[in-house]
Amino acid sequence: MNNHDITLKINGEEHKVTVPANRLLLDVLREDLQMTETKYGCGTGECGACTVLVEGNKNICSCVTLAATMDGREITTAAGLEKDGELHPVQEAFIDEFAVQCGYCIPGMVLKTVSMLTENPNPTEEEIRHGLEGNMCRCTGYTKIVKAVQKASQIMAGSES
Amino acid sequence: MSNFKTVGKSERKLDARGKVTGKTIYVDDLQMPGMLYGKVVRCYEHAHARVKKLDLSKAAAYPGVIKVLGPEDVTQKEYNNSVIPLMVPEEMQQVLGDIDDQKIFTKHVKHYGDAIAGIIATSAEIAEKAAEKVIVEYEPLPVYLTSEESRQPDAVQFVEGKPGNLAFELPEPVFPNNTMGWGDVDDAFEEADFIVEDEFYVPKQKQCQMEPNTYIAMYDEEERLHCWTSTQMPKSVQRTLSKLFEVPMHKFKLHTATIGGGFGARLGMILEPEVCAMALAVPGRHIKLQSPREEDWLTSPSRHPGRYWMKIGFKNDGTPVACDAKFVSYKGGYYLDGSGVAYTTGGWLSAMYKWGALRYKGETYFTNQPICGAFRGYGNPQTNFAMEQLVDRACNKLDIDPVEWRKRWHKDVGDDGWCAGVPLSSCALDECLDRGAEAIGWKDKRAKYAKQSGTIRRGVGVGVMTHTSGASPMLLEHTVSTVKLNEDATAVVTLACTDMGQGSHTTLRQVAAETLGFPVEDVYMNVDDMDAAGYDIGAHASRTLYVGGGSVKAACEDAKRQLFERAAGILEANPDDLVMEDKNIFVKGSPDKSVAAEEITKAGVYNFLNPETGGRDKEPGQIQGYSSYFPAHNSPPFGACFAEVEVNTETGEVKILEAVNATDIGKAINPAIAEGQLDGGAHQGFGFALTEEMYFDKDGKCLNNSFTDYKMLGASDMPKMTDILVENPDPYGPFGAKSVGEGGLVSPIGAIANAIYNAIDVQITEAPITSEKIVNALKNL
Repeated sequence: MNNHDITLKINGEEHKVTVPANRLLLDVLREDLQMTETKYGCGTGECGACTVLVEGNKNICSCVTLAATMDGREITTAAGLEKDGELHPVQEAFIDEFAVQCGYCIPGMVLKTVSMLTENPNPTEEEIRHGLEGNMCRCTGYTKIVKAVQKASQIMAGSES
Repeated sequence: MSNFKTVGKSERKLDARGKVTGKTIYVDDLQMPGMLYGKVVRCYEHAHARVKKLDLSKAAAYPGVIKVLGPEDVTQKEYNNSVIPLMVPEEMQQVLGDIDDQKIFTKHVKHYGDAIAGIIATSAEIAEKAAEKVIVEYEPLPVYLTSEESRQPDAVQFVEGKPGNLAFELPEPVFPNNTMGWGDVDDAFEEADFIVEDEFYVPKQKQCQMEPNTYIAMYDEEERLHCWTSTQMPKSVQRTLSKLFEVPMHKFKLHTATIGGGFGARLGMILEPEVCAMALAVPGRHIKLQSPREEDWLTSPSRHPGRYWMKIGFKNDGTPVACDAKFVSYKGGYYLDGSGVAYTTGGWLSAMYKWGALRYKGETYFTNQPICGAFRGYGNPQTNFAMEQLVDRACNKLDIDPVEWRKRWHKDVGDDGWCAGVPLSSCALDECLDRGAEAIGWKDKRAKYAKQSGTIRRGVGVGVMTHTSGASPMLLEHTVSTVKLNEDATAVVTLACTDMGQGSHTTLRQVAAETLGFPVEDVYMNVDDMDAAGYDIGAHASRTLYVGGGSVKAACEDAKRQLFERAAGILEANPDDLVMEDKNIFVKGSPDKSVAAEEITKAGVYNFLNPETGGRDKEPGQIQGYSSYFPAHNSPPFGACFAEVEVNTETGEVKILEAVNATDIGKAINPAIAEGQLDGGAHQGFGFALTEEMYFDKDGKCLNNSFTDYKMLGASDMPKMTDILVENPDPYGPFGAKSVGEGGLVSPIGAIANAIYNAIDVQITEAPITSEKIVNALKNL
């Protein structure tokens, strides 16, 4: 297996790693770089627990992404949304609306929401529900997650105006 | 009316910040120095077979493999992954016939994915590759997927002492004729004007918690065995593993980790025995054992599927004169909660309505399906699916509004609940039904949907439930807690109650703060120190707030009493006359003369000596409150769910348009957290009713152990949910609280089934009610 020397810019910081061609981004994050905020849920891109953002807004499942294909790209994880101890409005909204129960899906869910609101800052409830498909939660029935996305959308609209 | 400071408020979840940033640590996030990786070799060739030959030599020789373990290389003792045998008195274990029938690695494969060997290697990848080198020869045995097959006289016996593969039936000494109930059912049916009856099928539903099952274990230099686990029941698991591996309890350290969802799957053990056996084989090294997602369906317990016969006799005025029922479930390969679910399924049936007479039989048979055990609701969903549909069928014949019939015939305060001899302590089901009906627009919608003929039809349905708050007096409900008052008058509560994510540590902290009279921020929940924490039966039966909260309240009352006694000495007053505000203690009505709580807690440690005399002129010692708490009751909650659906009669597609989940909670300690339980419960209940089931081919191979093929409802499948918390304080629960964890799943099942019935005038008796079943039922009209 060929090894690749790659550079990943994760949460604003450059990391140079050498990876075999078949190394998954999730394993690089969790095992090689000890950034465990990105979760393994299914390993097959079905549940979304491993969601990360590429170039700030495109959401991907890191469990089905080869790390080598991400050479030179900017990756954001849930921990990277927090800046100088300040949470991202989406994270605040998830806490305020009690959208967090067991928490295992939440890093992915929060990133999916950031991605969704970047594309569509003012989504309808239907658009939110559709946008969350691909990220599974077994605790909340999505009810309070949908409310958190709505609240985040309002907060972010308010802070821009 | 109340002047609670924190009880009743939606305080932020104490774990939420760590979870939105991902900083919260689950077992899989732990990396230990020099850690090794375990792999369980499983049988994927057969669902029923004997291992004739097992050759581990090629796997052992694979580079990077540290050790291979066959069935003889580990303890030969048998165990039960469900810890339920520990939860009843020993004599009752004998009566119930609970058994230990699992081995770490088996030579008799009893289900697809059964464990046959173990591998320990330097990486997970190497362990995986080495597993492929294991050579096994099997002698295939006949596969029995249902009890109809496994109970045949010539069937292979799963264990000795369970003839006919009957794992459990209600035991004769406690239940004459192996039945539960009252009255003479046969005579009572004679009085009935009409009878409704049917045979129902209930599905093998899986919990599907989002966190896969991961464990770490290590046997250290002091001969202490450590196990990091996300079990719901740390104390019972510690006891079970301690006995299994003959390690005394003080030499077994169980490290509780953040639980990424439980729902009953982690009630007891999953792979703790395997990982501990591996750790003992390689002393001094940490072993991580992770079960890949696709194995979760095969190796952790599901809900009990099976056939449910039910027959109810009614008089023309609606009186339910008799109910006769029998639930025969497919146990899977091992015993686990064999007695529990078969019994409680009837318990829930007995607790709901005022049947004139009742006869229930519960039986469960070993089969070659993966194991069954606890799943949120514990038999109640199965009963709800059958019972609530038959009630609505009768209401149709009677031309009685289903809400009105339920209000007239549900059990009420003073009637026996699910556990015979324990009368219901409180009941606000009428208010749940009234408020739920109003919220969904019941009367208008029922009238509007009465006559429909088009392709797209709508229906609205109701289901009700009663459940429990802890399992007293059936099980040994018990929680120990301590509260330590620090020198600066902050408090640390130590206990073993786990939080599966629902927020129980947050609500328990509110109970502690309210009782102590301290701000919530001044209370820390020490919940991961199993050496320090006393016994707790574990998170099951919706009991953590009710029993754990009762214990925390008692411990905090004990600490507060000690604090007030010391204050009374200083203030020269009677402790009973004292009150505390802003952590200042004074005689009620005289705030001018007060003593700060901190002055007392500090003096007890740092300031009790008189520097001149050397005498103790202040009360020395640190205040600790303690409680070893046994609840006096099981305060059943009640609930009503209303659902509106749209059914496409051509495609069979069902869309849930709206749902209202109203619950009689006694008192909501944290309303937002309680709502979260209703929302999540409804999601799983709707799934049971509409989409969720594990499927097998004729050889017992599971066909849908993946998130793509096992269909849970997604965000856009879920309707607008309205949660209604009906507060009618219970006389036994802490601050009047009853449970909310499981019940929210139960009534949505009846509500969806009845809404579909309302829409298409046909009842589907097999869950989940898939599109195919609807189309076929309509075709056969």
